[in-house]
Amino acid sequence: MSPVRLFVLIVIVLFGAVGTVWSQDVTAKVRPSITAPDAFDADFDDFDDDFSDEQLPLISDPLEGLNRGVFWCNDKLYVYLLKPVARGYRVVPRPLRRSVGNFFSNLTTPVRAVNALLQFKVKATGTELGRLLVNSTIGWGGLLDPAGDALGWQKTNEDFGQTLGVYGLRSGWYLVLPVLGPSSVRDGVGILGDQLLDPLLYTNLTDAQKTAAAGLKIINRLSLDPDSYEGIKRDALDPYLFIRAAYAQHRLASVSK
Amino acid sequence: MKRLFLLILFCVVLPLPLFAATTPTEKIQQVVDSVLDVLNRTDIDYATKRQQVSGMVQCQIDIDSMSQRTLGIHWRSATEQQRKIFSGLFVQVLEMTYLNRIEDYSGGKVDYLQERVKNDKAIVDTQFVSDKLQIPVQYKMLHGDRGWQIYDVVIENVSLVRNYRSSYGDIVRKEGFDGLFAKMENKLAEQKLSGAVQ
Repeated sequence: MSPVRLFVLIVIVLFGAVGTVWSQDVTAKVRPSITAPDAFDADFDDFDDDFSDEQLPLISDPLEGLNRGVFWCNDKLYVYLLKPVARGYRVVPRPLRRSVGNFFSNLTTPVRAVNALLQFKVKATGTELGRLLVNSTIGWGGLLDPAGDALGWQKTNEDFGQTLGVYGLRSGWYLVLPVLGPSSVRDGVGILGDQLLDPLLYTNLTDAQKTAAAGLKIINRLSLDPDSYEGIKRDALDPYLFIRAAYAQHRLASVSK
Repeated sequence: MKRLFLLILFCVVLPLPLFAATTPTEKIQQVVDSVLDVLNRTDIDYATKRQQVSGMVQCQIDIDSMSQRTLGIHWRSATEQQRKIFSGLFVQVLEMTYLNRIEDYSGGKVDYLQERVKNDKAIVDTQFVSDKLQIPVQYKMLHGDRGWQIYDVVIENVSLVRNYRSSYGDIVRKEGFDGLFAKMENKLAEQKLSGAVQ
């Protein structure tokens, strides 16, 4: 079974279990419309929040027991398989690995472009399309990033989880997904949606080849990462809690941007 | 003793002439530049670098505000002694975290993007750039007796204090202050051990 199918199966099982909550989420928790305060005051409001005693949890986690189990498995997978492989793969010169990253990133332009459009971010959509055009041609099929380096068209980071968030959907429960790591009910659905926009799905590659491509993508990304997970494990009193809080904050910010 | 002297030097003597007109950005600039200067030196070893940087950063942090905000609602229910223990441990945890990261930040530079001030609060937006990384880093500052002091660092939209607050709050709820202090002490001991091995 391909990892994608396995993943879909797992997600469906998980969502089956939390389906009722999900539907409540959709209807009841639509965000109140924001009256666009300017960024200056918004950031200072944040500041004032910080001084209030209010202690809202960043994300609800009723499945903590299960999540910690998956977190533990992911940790072992990372420590004993993915990271050693990524470390060995670091013999490939860094510029080349960056090109591999660029290539995959160029390939998934549809994901970002469509989601930017769905969020009515016209400029970001244009940037993504422009990047696709420039990088696919003079950027050697996406291996290089002249659009970002020379033209200053920086990659945006839109995904379907964010789109759902912009439409007013709250994150729902925190989920740790096998292999993929921290997520939420909303963002898990988002990943499924984004899969449908991944061109790799529509190529004639065999399942084995698609799996290899997905594997290369993960290993390549890990090889470029400056051991941030190791850093968190070393510093945090409880890495599970630290990553959960960081994920929740990061996603809240991505949605409100 | 030498360390104490350095600490006094950095915290008390050096900032004195700067009190009057230091803006938040200038303050961050001073701290960041002096840290980067130490990190980029080639004539001293890693242990010495850590020691020097530790003194510089510790006195720029508003540890009381940070502790209070990190514990949030639990701060009020804490006894005076618990607060003291927490602040004491917390400053060490922060220092450890910071020092563990400094190597990632060697050989980079910091761009100052924007400064916003509202009464005694300030937000300074910066960007750390090296050949490996490009990270937006935001400093939140408070003005007090010792001028502008940092009380939160927001890296890629993740506030350090909020992260600590969420994690530590969870631990206090489940295991009480004793559980939290034990975890903090363990972590620090573990680090000292691995530091000694290095």
